[in-house]
Amino acid sequence: MATVLGQRVREAFDWPLFVTTCAIAVVGVVNLYSATSAAPGPAIADLYIQQIYWLALGASLAVLAAAVDYRHYERFGYVAFGIGLAALMLVFLLGRNIRGSQRWIPIGSFSFQPSEFMKILLVIALAKYLHNDPRTEGRTLKDLVVPGAIVAVPIVLILRQPDLGTASILAFIFASIMLMTRLKLRSLLTIAVVFAASVPLTWRYLLHDYQKRRFESFLDPCGERVLSGGWHACQSLVAVGSGTWIGKGFLQGTQNQHGFLPDQHSDFPFAVWAEEHGFFGSMALIALYLFLVLWALKIAASAKDRFGAVLSVGMGAIFFWHAFINIGMVTGLLPVVGVTLPLFSYGGSSVVTVLLAIGLLMNVSMRRYVFQ
Amino acid sequence: MKNLLSPRREVDEFRPRLRAMVVAVFVAFALLLGRLVQLQVLESDHWSARARGNVMRTIELRSTRGIIRDRLGNTVATNRPAFNVYITPAYVDIDRDLGRLASWLGLTDEQVTAVKQRLQDATDERAFRQYLVLEDITRDQLATLETHRRELRGVDVVSVPVRQYPYGTLAAHSVGYLNEVSAEELDRLREQGYRAGDSVGRSGIERSWEAYLRGRRGFQKVYVDSSGMSRRDRVPGMPPAERMRREPVPGRDLVLTLDMGLERIVERAFRGHPVGAAVVLEARSGRVLALFSKPAYDPNLVSTGLDREQARELLDNPFRPLIDRTVYEHYPPGSTWKVFTALAALGDSVIDPSVSYECEQRYEFGRRIFRCSHDHDEVDMSSALVQSCNIYFYQISQLVGMDRLARYAVDMGFGRRSGVGIATEASGFVPTRSWYLQRDGAFRLGATLSAAIGQGNVRATLLQLGLAYASIVNGGTLYVPQLVQRVEAPDGTVLEEFPPRVRRRIRVAPQHLDFIRRTLAGVLTDPNGTAHDALIAGAVSMGGKTGTAQVPQQRMPRDDPRRAWFYNRPHAWFAAYAPVEDPEIVVVVLVEHGGDGGRFAAPIATQIINEYLGPRRSDPTEPQEAQPSRAPRPTGAPSGAQRSH
Repeated sequence: MATVLGQRVREAFDWPLFVTTCAIAVVGVVNLYSATSAAPGPAIADLYIQQIYWLALGASLAVLAAAVDYRHYERFGYVAFGIGLAALMLVFLLGRNIRGSQRWIPIGSFSFQPSEFMKILLVIALAKYLHNDPRTEGRTLKDLVVPGAIVAVPIVLILRQPDLGTASILAFIFASIMLMTRLKLRSLLTIAVVFAASVPLTWRYLLHDYQKRRFESFLDPCGERVLSGGWHACQSLVAVGSGTWIGKGFLQGTQNQHGFLPDQHSDFPFAVWAEEHGFFGSMALIALYLFLVLWALKIAASAKDRFGAVLSVGMGAIFFWHAFINIGMVTGLLPVVGVTLPLFSYGGSSVVTVLLAIGLLMNVSMRRYVFQ
Repeated sequence: MKNLLSPRREVDEFRPRLRAMVVAVFVAFALLLGRLVQLQVLESDHWSARARGNVMRTIELRSTRGIIRDRLGNTVATNRPAFNVYITPAYVDIDRDLGRLASWLGLTDEQVTAVKQRLQDATDERAFRQYLVLEDITRDQLATLETHRRELRGVDVVSVPVRQYPYGTLAAHSVGYLNEVSAEELDRLREQGYRAGDSVGRSGIERSWEAYLRGRRGFQKVYVDSSGMSRRDRVPGMPPAERMRREPVPGRDLVLTLDMGLERIVERAFRGHPVGAAVVLEARSGRVLALFSKPAYDPNLVSTGLDREQARELLDNPFRPLIDRTVYEHYPPGSTWKVFTALAALGDSVIDPSVSYECEQRYEFGRRIFRCSHDHDEVDMSSALVQSCNIYFYQISQLVGMDRLARYAVDMGFGRRSGVGIATEASGFVPTRSWYLQRDGAFRLGATLSAAIGQGNVRATLLQLGLAYASIVNGGTLYVPQLVQRVEAPDGTVLEEFPPRVRRRIRVAPQHLDFIRRTLAGVLTDPNGTAHDALIAGAVSMGGKTGTAQVPQQRMPRDDPRRAWFYNRPHAWFAAYAPVEDPEIVVVVLVEHGGDGGRFAAPIATQIINEYLGPRRSDPTEPQEAQPSRAPRPTGAPSGAQRSH
């Protein structure tokens, strides 16, 4: 049995997925080393070591996630989702307030961010829902009520932390998954109109002042408001732009080394990378993420059931939206919201979530030929 | 990838939309790539410059302003450190520290309120800008602040150099003062290297020698991190910090021709006279030994910035302390001018100096009657000068003529700026026939009579008079006045030495100059001489010419009428030289509205000459006692009749 399994693993193992993931992880640790090397005090300087621990933990969990046939997850989808919601609520009871938001549950000396895992749980829940609703005719707004409710609950909880970045990621993941299914054109248009109308209302009533300031300074980050909100975005642009073709070299980015990049290890590691490795380095890294996303879509296309396909698209959506929003914000295309770059940003919950997603993708990929 | 085993899988439903997603993902990443091209390729120069600017900070290295010394090496202008107190609103704890700070610095309630207002108004970026609370605190205050430095967050003491003038008001107009460049001036002066907070010479030597005194600032570039701290000397891809340094060049030191000891003597001689001026020159070089203008201002106060009250006091003072009476103001020279009328007559052999005229104290000219101070009886040129007889000069003025007198006067430096090169020098005025024709459409011969005795429209500065008298007593050389003798480097090496500059030889025969020089000795020695009362027995031999210049009768509308008499009093003049044989110095004294020249100006001049030259003549081990001033205090209003003697 073991040899059969081993053989099957060898034949079906998704090498491109594995290699791409390893490449991003390795480059990410190296970049993290640079990003934190100039920081004062050992608390930050050792983060790359911790990141390696997180990677190891994440990899182990990923192996487990890949080992069990993913169809078992379908059964526990809603239960897991419910546990995730419970954890989100627990945040408000136990959470620590860090820089004005309450996102983490402390566990020993670590802290755990339930909203990260919520992304995967949401994808599983939606996949289960769509798996059990094998309709091929176009869906109307009424058909979106149940999945909409599924996503709305965690979004509301996360917005209350507040964490606009993660909440919007959940919304984008939901949108990406629902766009897989056939939607009536009228429903799509209605959604678009409602969305457009809600923008000013959101601005007026839902956004916090610091969030508004970031949006305002986003348009001209290095302009007049550079000191009242545009600082991060502006220094990030300076870092990226001054990288030119080949960059300033490893450990030699002045923006990074001289402390002009804020949150260089969590939100802005791409700026560090772009500054030190220039356009070529940035392009290579972007190519890796592009490949990862496309590969997830390919796995979805060759998945043997709807659950696997939705799961894969969901994982692809997680990668895509994280990468796109993070790089977009670092390069000034998007306003600054705290969205991490998968495997590049420091953060235990983030790393483990991403690797779990990779494990699930591997799971689907390896089982595309297997029949019950 | 087609799955042969399962031609119709349930996943096939998603295929078209998955394909659309692939396209969408490509588009999204192309967008990111395009943005990277924009930032890292197209705009890379801009961002690279910004990145360099981020880590590089230029520390300006101040240069020290040159020191000004007098001819004997006494320091006239130097620099001292001043300590200014700044507050950074973002860091300061208003409630806790402001009260203590105010009591330590002795701030008034008004000032405290102003500071509080400023602190509350400072928001956003302004909260991080230092704001000046008090300038130039005392040593005690500095010590107190230093003691409590650790408790006072956001309070900084910054040392800046401040110009110091040890002699205060003495020679203030000639030395000048500095103050800070204004924002409007900065636009203009920036390319010359001036920065906000720099001082610039505003008047006198400080202004005209600015380029020498100023020096050139240096800089040091340092690499910094985001907190502004200097971080390291080397940054990859950028030059090492030590190569990005330019040493400041200190300003040049100036050695003046002025003698501050003599300035002191002059100041003492002017005691009891509120308004006046004096010039002392070296007769044989044109070097200026003293420029004295009273009242004066204290350049120490003006340089550090006057408060409102001090400024009002300066501006409202009726004696106008800001005016330099030696070069900026010109006056009717009165009878000191008769010398030039005489030279014009002698030079063109208009008359024989031995010819006498009868003085009957009145002179009828047309319908007007011109008067003289006394009944001088028979006067020739020599006695007319000694006794300052107006009638004699009225008589010869008709022979000399307006234009001949003007020609001689201009030749001796009148009507043109002397070129002393400080502040705004007045040129004086020498009227001519054509000037009257142009102004009045007619020329009255009476104008010549007035011009002959230095009245009417004739105007001269003290310096011009001094230089002209010097040219008479030195045998005919008109010099360019000289204030700066040499330029030195801070270590004392002489960089430039300025020899006396001859402006021209005046066109008067030496024997005529000799005649005038000898004759003017009689003004003091002759019992009838107008300055005989000022003669000091046993003093240095000297000659000179008195002047009592009528001033235009004026009403002082806003002034106390009881003081109007003062402003209608004539100016008292004395232009002197000493010793008579081989003259060394020329002294010109003006007491504004002082009255009679012989009574009020001459004693000042004789005292100056005696105190300055006297000790040098006698045995150095037994210095001669300075004679007290014998100048009587001005009393009573003189009669309004035109008199000059």
